[in-house]
Amino acid sequence: MPHNWEASVRRIWATMSGSPNMDRVPYFPLACEEIICRISGKTFRELIFSPKAYGNATIQTYEFLKADTLSIPTAYAGPAEALAFAEANNKEDVIKWADYRVFMAEQGAICKTEEDIEKLEIPDHSKISLWDNCLSAINFTREKTRFPPSCALGIWSVVQELRGVQAYRDMRKNPDLLLQLCEKVYQSQMDLYDFYKERVGHSGTIFFTGYSFNKHMMSFEDAMRYEGQFIKRLQDKTKARIILHNCGTTPYFDEICNSLDLSAVNGSHPLDIEYWVRFKEKHPDVTIIGANIDVSRELLNGTPLDVEEKVRENITHLASGGKYAVGPICCLPWGVSLNNIMAIPKAIKKWGSYPLQNQ
Amino acid sequence: MNHDEILLELRNRIVKGNSEGALDFIHKAIDANIDPKQILNKAIIHGAEEVGRKYEEDEYFLGDMLLAADAMNECMDVIKPILTEEKHKSAGKVLIGTPEGDIHDIGKRLVVALLQGQGFEVIDLGVDVPPEKFVKEAININPDIIGISGLLTMTISKMTETVVMLRKGGIKAKIVVGGGILSEESCQYIGANAWAKDGWEGVKTIKELMEGD
Repeated sequence: MPHNWEASVRRIWATMSGSPNMDRVPYFPLACEEIICRISGKTFRELIFSPKAYGNATIQTYEFLKADTLSIPTAYAGPAEALAFAEANNKEDVIKWADYRVFMAEQGAICKTEEDIEKLEIPDHSKISLWDNCLSAINFTREKTRFPPSCALGIWSVVQELRGVQAYRDMRKNPDLLLQLCEKVYQSQMDLYDFYKERVGHSGTIFFTGYSFNKHMMSFEDAMRYEGQFIKRLQDKTKARIILHNCGTTPYFDEICNSLDLSAVNGSHPLDIEYWVRFKEKHPDVTIIGANIDVSRELLNGTPLDVEEKVRENITHLASGGKYAVGPICCLPWGVSLNNIMAIPKAIKKWGSYPLQNQ
Repeated sequence: MNHDEILLELRNRIVKGNSEGALDFIHKAIDANIDPKQILNKAIIHGAEEVGRKYEEDEYFLGDMLLAADAMNECMDVIKPILTEEKHKSAGKVLIGTPEGDIHDIGKRLVVALLQGQGFEVIDLGVDVPPEKFVKEAININPDIIGISGLLTMTISKMTETVVMLRKGGIKAKIVVGGGILSEESCQYIGANAWAKDGWEGVKTIKELMEGD
């Protein structure tokens, strides 16, 4: 049966808005370049240099996964933004390309010195061909599926790419310099947002990669200082709904929902399902995408039945009344068996139809 | 100041990540003829333990740990030649790297700095290290522990490949994998001896494995 994207769009919107008119729990996986290469059989270069090929491979992958969402993975505040800064600052040599996965920037190489930060040029995304290709691929997928795309932004994920481990020393030794870098990254993200708006249109939802919001990285106060304040500014400017992604093991989801107006959180930790039950009670307006389905656990080392059981646990505890989407975190890695991956949509079909079983 | 006061002051400066102040006091300690092994154990290693405790109690975060590790390393650079002269045994030999396909190294850098700062001999292969290079260097170096640290979920398969190749190459060293993406399940899948979710836990795990030998 062909994939019904119209139904997927309805499902996602109903879930995010908490509407009672839902047929089933939606599926929101993150398919990175690696799995798109794996499923399409194409190299990353073949994809990134042809928006049509990339768009088609992405649709093929998400349809294969029986997903209810769709996104061009390269178009986010990660390696592609590092590449934009590398190009704008004549440092393309720090980018390392690979065949079946995304390119990467040598961490910290673009802003090695204080002078690098002070003189850092903010990229003009309309002149970066890779971003142009990404947005063309986004337009292609939208035209073909009618699935509304979302702009993906972030601050700390880019700061880490540019400054590397030194950013953490700056936090204590030179906070003003670090804030200067964060500000430049923010300006760059706004340039990207404007370019996106011009090429793709207004993005009602922003998928925000908030890597700072994790205890392993920094205190919550520092996370608000170096990333949170920029999210507030971004919201004021764009009026967009924010989905906050954090794939770390000790995220500040509860704290951030008390401080910022978020539409959804996307993560897989803490692993204790009771945390998520309490989270839902405390933040009833925030959609949970993921909860405790972690790719490095059942998906990697379990059986399809283990995966089904994990999905069932999440649905049973969290899907009542909507505001919950199944989503393994983070990207589905190369080594995971397809049987395990496909156990997720199978479990959703089995347990995720409304009205829910056991309700 | 008596010896204990100098060592306490040195330890405090390490814990605060005050490299300059720590250097000042390590020279004072040497000038006062304090046994370098005492300097290492009472000031530097105890300092590292204090930093770890503060991290575990959410008083310290990555930035604080890195600055403390920097201070430890500066101090180690000063006393290492004296310890070598006295034929002080290294705390252990660790070969470490980020596997092929991954260039993230923040956690690894913290592990390297904290281990070196506590008298370990650490050979850091850097990032994006192919399995063959791990094997070649392990044969050359004969480490006690091999650390493989990564951030990306996609590197789990590369960690597995690296462990398989190390074992096929006859390497007997214990292998620790590290990264926020890992779990007990993924550690088993990879075939490593132990795992750690962050840099500090990595350091503790490596030290425990060394003590277990």
